Amino acid sequence: MESNKKYWKGLEELNKTPEFVENNKSEFAEPLPIEDVLSEAGLSTVTPRRDFLKALGFGLGAVTLAACQKAPVHKSIPYLVRPEEVTPGIPNYYVSSFKGNSVMVKTVVGRPIKIEVNPNAGLYSRGTDAQAQASVLDLYDVSKLKNPLLKKDETTWADLDKFVKGELNKVQASGKQIRVVASSLNSPSAKAVVTEFTAKYPTTKLVQYDPISYTGIIKANENSFGKAVLPKYNFDKADLIVSFAADFLGTWISGEEFTAQYTSNRDYKSLEKKKMSRHFQFEAGMSLTGTNADTRIALKLSEEGPALIALYNAITGASLPGAGLPDNATADKALKLVAKELLQNKGKAVVVAGSNDVSVQTLVNAINVAIGSYGTTIDLDNPCKRYEGNDAEFALLVDEMNKGEVGAVFFLNSNPAYDAINAKAFTEGLAKVALKVSFSDREDETADLSDVVAITPNYLEAWGDANTYEGFYSIVQPTINPVFNSRQAEQSLLTWADAPVQDYYQYVRNYWEKNILPAAGKTWNDVLQTGVVASAPKAAGSYGFSLSLDAVAAAIIASSKALKKDIELQIFESIPMRDGKQANNAFLQEFPCPVTKVTWDNYIALNPRQAEKLGYKEFDVVSIKAENGYTVDLPVLFQPGQAMGTASVALGYGRTKAGKAGNNVGKNAFPFVTYTNGTLKYATTATLTGTGRWEELAQTQTHYSFEGRNIVREASFKDFLKDPAAGSGNHHKHKVYDLWTTDKHEMLGNNWVMAIDLNACTGCGSCIVACNVENNIPVVGKDEVRRRREMHWLRIDRYYSFNDEQHGAVTEEKEIAHLDNLENVSVVHQPMLCQHCDHAPCETVCPVLATVHSSDGLNHMAYNRCVGTRYCANNCPYKVRRFNWFNYWNDSRFDNYLNNEFTQLVLNPDVTTRSRGVMEKCSMCIQRIQAGKLTAKIEKRALKDGDIKMACQQACSANAIIFGDKNDPNSEVSKALRSERTYYVLEEINVEPGIGYMTKIRNIDSTTKEVHA
Amino acid sequence: MRNISFGLKKLRKATLVVAALSFLTVNVSKAQDVVEGRTLFKSKCASCHALDHDGTGPALKPKMNELEESFLIPWIRNNVELRASGNKQAIEAAKFSPSEMTAFPTLTDDQIKSIIAYAKVGDPPKEVVSGGTVVDEGVSGLSIAGVIAIIVLSIVVLVVLGRAVKMLERLILEKQGIVVNEEDNVSLVTGVKGLFKNKKFVFFTVLCLVIVLGSFGWMGMWETGVHTGYQPTQPIKFSHELHAGINQIDCQYCHTGAFKSKNSTIPSLNVCMNCHKNVQARTDDGLISPEIQKIYNALGYNPDTQTYDKTKEKPIEWVRVHNLPDFAYFNHSQHVVVGEEAIRKEAGLSPNDPVCFACHGPVNTMEEVYQYSPLTMKWCINCHKDADISNKKSDAFYANVIAAHEKIKKGEKITPALLGGLECGKCHY
Repeated sequence: MESNKKYWKGLEELNKTPEFVENNKSEFAEPLPIEDVLSEAGLSTVTPRRDFLKALGFGLGAVTLAACQKAPVHKSIPYLVRPEEVTPGIPNYYVSSFKGNSVMVKTVVGRPIKIEVNPNAGLYSRGTDAQAQASVLDLYDVSKLKNPLLKKDETTWADLDKFVKGELNKVQASGKQIRVVASSLNSPSAKAVVTEFTAKYPTTKLVQYDPISYTGIIKANENSFGKAVLPKYNFDKADLIVSFAADFLGTWISGEEFTAQYTSNRDYKSLEKKKMSRHFQFEAGMSLTGTNADTRIALKLSEEGPALIALYNAITGASLPGAGLPDNATADKALKLVAKELLQNKGKAVVVAGSNDVSVQTLVNAINVAIGSYGTTIDLDNPCKRYEGNDAEFALLVDEMNKGEVGAVFFLNSNPAYDAINAKAFTEGLAKVALKVSFSDREDETADLSDVVAITPNYLEAWGDANTYEGFYSIVQPTINPVFNSRQAEQSLLTWADAPVQDYYQYVRNYWEKNILPAAGKTWNDVLQTGVVASAPKAAGSYGFSLSLDAVAAAIIASSKALKKDIELQIFESIPMRDGKQANNAFLQEFPCPVTKVTWDNYIALNPRQAEKLGYKEFDVVSIKAENGYTVDLPVLFQPGQAMGTASVALGYGRTKAGKAGNNVGKNAFPFVTYTNGTLKYATTATLTGTGRWEELAQTQTHYSFEGRNIVREASFKDFLKDPAAGSGNHHKHKVYDLWTTDKHEMLGNNWVMAIDLNACTGCGSCIVACNVENNIPVVGKDEVRRRREMHWLRIDRYYSFNDEQHGAVTEEKEIAHLDNLENVSVVHQPMLCQHCDHAPCETVCPVLATVHSSDGLNHMAYNRCVGTRYCANNCPYKVRRFNWFNYWNDSRFDNYLNNEFTQLVLNPDVTTRSRGVMEKCSMCIQRIQAGKLTAKIEKRALKDGDIKMACQQACSANAIIFGDKNDPNSEVSKALRSERTYYVLEEINVEPGIGYMTKIRNIDSTTKEVHA
Repeated sequence: MRNISFGLKKLRKATLVVAALSFLTVNVSKAQDVVEGRTLFKSKCASCHALDHDGTGPALKPKMNELEESFLIPWIRNNVELRASGNKQAIEAAKFSPSEMTAFPTLTDDQIKSIIAYAKVGDPPKEVVSGGTVVDEGVSGLSIAGVIAIIVLSIVVLVVLGRAVKMLERLILEKQGIVVNEEDNVSLVTGVKGLFKNKKFVFFTVLCLVIVLGSFGWMGMWETGVHTGYQPTQPIKFSHELHAGINQIDCQYCHTGAFKSKNSTIPSLNVCMNCHKNVQARTDDGLISPEIQKIYNALGYNPDTQTYDKTKEKPIEWVRVHNLPDFAYFNHSQHVVVGEEAIRKEAGLSPNDPVCFACHGPVNTMEEVYQYSPLTMKWCINCHKDADISNKKSDAFYANVIAAHEKIKKGEKITPALLGGLECGKCHY
């Protein structure tokens, strides 16, 4: 069963470019200047020995003198009056919500330092996404304003209130309109505040708009079923998932939640029951969801509509015009297969589309009705309230402003000057508004144009609530007093409305005690503890579809034709940056995009063959001119799997007023978005012209390469059913030799190990950010990442492989290099971290015993002992050791990231910050292990499985990381490791790694193989 | 006569010795009273009385010297009773202050006498104790002196031996009939010069110098970064001797974290205010003790109106005495809760001493706290190697772990080291 399939991380590896080969030879990007020293200049010097001795003597003397300084005096400053619940050294946990997802916030002596999962939120929150994990850094952002601004000058709240009230009265007297512009307000209390404000100023209207819009789905549902809502999707109930460019595991609606649902049908527990869902993805750019699909078909943007029409026709037997994909035989074949399978899986299947086009979504509704999704996989009766934005309303607002009808506008959690599609029209309109108030924590693009910046606190300093699903409410409670002189937007609105209750805490509490708590039979204190109130969901009904689809099909064909021109440009939300609201978050900027592995930049993704055709090399900067005339220059990224004839550019970059870290990173892609037929469209056409410039992206994909060793193992679901150990390589064990036969290292107490389920891991990377926050991992910046010096302890290796089913898997690199089609690649994500080998190669080469093995199976790293020879990193077959090239915490070169006292408040006090010149690596969250053990010791009880959770494990929605004690045969991890799918990476070199991986399984069979034939 | 005078002298000496001894013993017994009295005074009287000036009560030193014990004893024990019995002196004395003096019916006569004895003399003038000398760690002066003495002695011996050898040589030569020039007239300078030409001498001297300087250097380096005895000046002259020693306040009353957290925690000022809202140790001018005033200032507390002014709050910046480097993780609760029994045994603490003494030393006698233990890694490790944690066998957490280890270490002592307590990552992460 051993597969010789070739995996590669990047095209440079595939093509063995000279740079790649050169870089790959050594562990560190910059070689030691040995050549210079040994050259004739070095050797012909007369007194190298004397110089050496002088330098040695001076060095010794200097070090001795430096060591003679007096020990510094440390101050200890206790509380004046210690809050009863705070004990220094013991963290406190408070529930709150981030973007509507209930979370648990860990605070130490009053400062929030980590976001964890709220166990009470159940299925609504099984993990956290990278944004939530990184959000603690936003609190300690030095780019925030410290005082409110009035006409650009710092002011007091009293003066500001006087000004705003005065202006509001003038506006009201003039009879002009007042608008509150907000990205979807899913807080019921905030909505009540706006209502109260409207009561005082009757011309007020709430305009909800989202830069990433879901108006298409909402309107389609209104047209089809009379319900203007986003439905609740149940991917856990779907045996067959067909997605048309919906990145539902990443950015689409609620990625983390869908990941939990999706993987519950694909992880090791499900596979043990011989059950696995099947997933087809049709898309242009490679999305995170596409990388996880069993079968991914590249589909041009212009082909999406016709493909859906073809699918509808195939399922229902209708004959809508415009079906068929004359230029894409693969997709055509796949659609026929998909249609057949959808009919076989009626009631257990779902079709989703990422498009924001009402017609497309209406057609998708019709398909879903035909396959019986409503009531099972799609639930319209417990709708999702995450997004309620209406693109038409925002377009109307811009019109109204330009006509001079608007007298006052308030921006609540929205930044249209950056993310509105027609920023120029918006800016011009805004200039005609008398009173412009921005509720922002910094002087962002919109705040810059506003008269008043009423600075708002971070969510960790604020009260609030969220309602993400019908009947599901969660609370936002502050975990720290406002650091700066900020005031919640809601409180400001209440103040200006002269509301009877102006304190927002009291307001939220009153609202809950009146509207939410009585029905749930809970008290306010209950909610502050559990964080959520969930009423039993209503029974999901099934829905019929009665609309005529002729007009819909016509509209789809029209917009499809409009896209058939030049290069079809897809504008997408990238996993790290999303809509750009957290652009100043250095953790997110340095978090490599799960698909492209690019940090600190955006790019234009092109299929390598496409780029060759156009005559571009990788990282060539090209000028992209869209149909609407907007032009930006971006470097080319070679993206295998990208549909030919298409290009993708990520949103969220190009902020100009985000802050020190986020300003001018990449280029803004929002102006590419177009507004047609009442909704925003994230597809357009563009022409590319070379600029002759070249700019290297800070891409981590080929850092730490495995030199083509067979470390990813996969099997098809069919083979797995026949033999669970299929593809794991477990049938061909190498004979192992042990150097330590006489002195066996026995793990008598605990043996901490980990199991990673490659089939559950979607590669989303929230574990990376969780690890960064937990372990005080420094941000190094774009330049340093280019030098391969990123410090992440945990990385996710993304491997491409090529399946040409006609010839079987491609096994020779040279074959791949000559393939004329790079659309059809499959991807495996492999989290890679210190394997805590029992025969660790790093340990034997350390000259100072700074890295040694423990009696509980961990590979310890004593930073204070390390002298920085870097031998260990050279000898690590997994390449997981990181070297501190700088003192990132105290070096002015890293001012934008973590080198300031305020930002350093985010540090975890239980983990040392490492100094320059020492090695570091995954410690298996030893601080958590020790804390868990101590708690058990103090409570005089045995340690239970699950007492200790790794930071990465906790953040993982997919349950792909299982940690525990191997010596306990009943522990979850022992069970997982006993799975026949489990293999160890580079097992043959006998380093006895402590982390087992479970094979990747793809649900493909002979019928799907036909597709690519 | 000579004998007689000698006898007298002897007698005189003997009497003197006896007298001196008896004087000493008197002094000693008195001293004991004073010590006890001081303790009692600090715990019972000091909140109202000072020795030299009036406070809530009158200055005690003049009163004690002026008044008779026969009055003082019943007065101190129960002044209310004494006044009720119609004692005029007592009624007169009570007029000093409107507030009534507390009765101490449990005090014995001897104890009261001790207090009086202490109040009469007060505290002896304090020896100035500077940092670093309080606890003498490392090589004592005595041993260094010993080394020097040995060196000097060996030089002397060498010189003498040298002379003897020369003398013998000369004798032998003389016997053989060879006349040797006398060297007696050689001047000192030439003698010294001669010494320097003597290779053996030079070698020996250099060797000594190397040994002496080397050992000083070695000891110096060994002590670098070791701050045993470190006793910084604190912003408030807080006396652990008074609070933990005399007043017997439990360590946990203030250091609440020690039993549940990694930090023992320095108490916040609200803990101080539990007592010091009342205990103000006023001077005779009615002024609050300047050290207690510092607490009030930090909190913005006005003792007259008993109100707090938040705007005047200013935290107290204590100077850390025990500084572990940032890369070393230490958890108090691990040691004082989980490891208490083993640590007590290892440090040989008496049952009445708090376990804290094992590392922090006799805090109850420290006027100002100093670093008692070296806090070096060697010091940590030695304890981890030696401490016996066999008592944990019945503990549910340890049951598995210890049972497992006993498989290989049958019958041997179980130490933290055996369970992995010496591994780097257990303290450095």
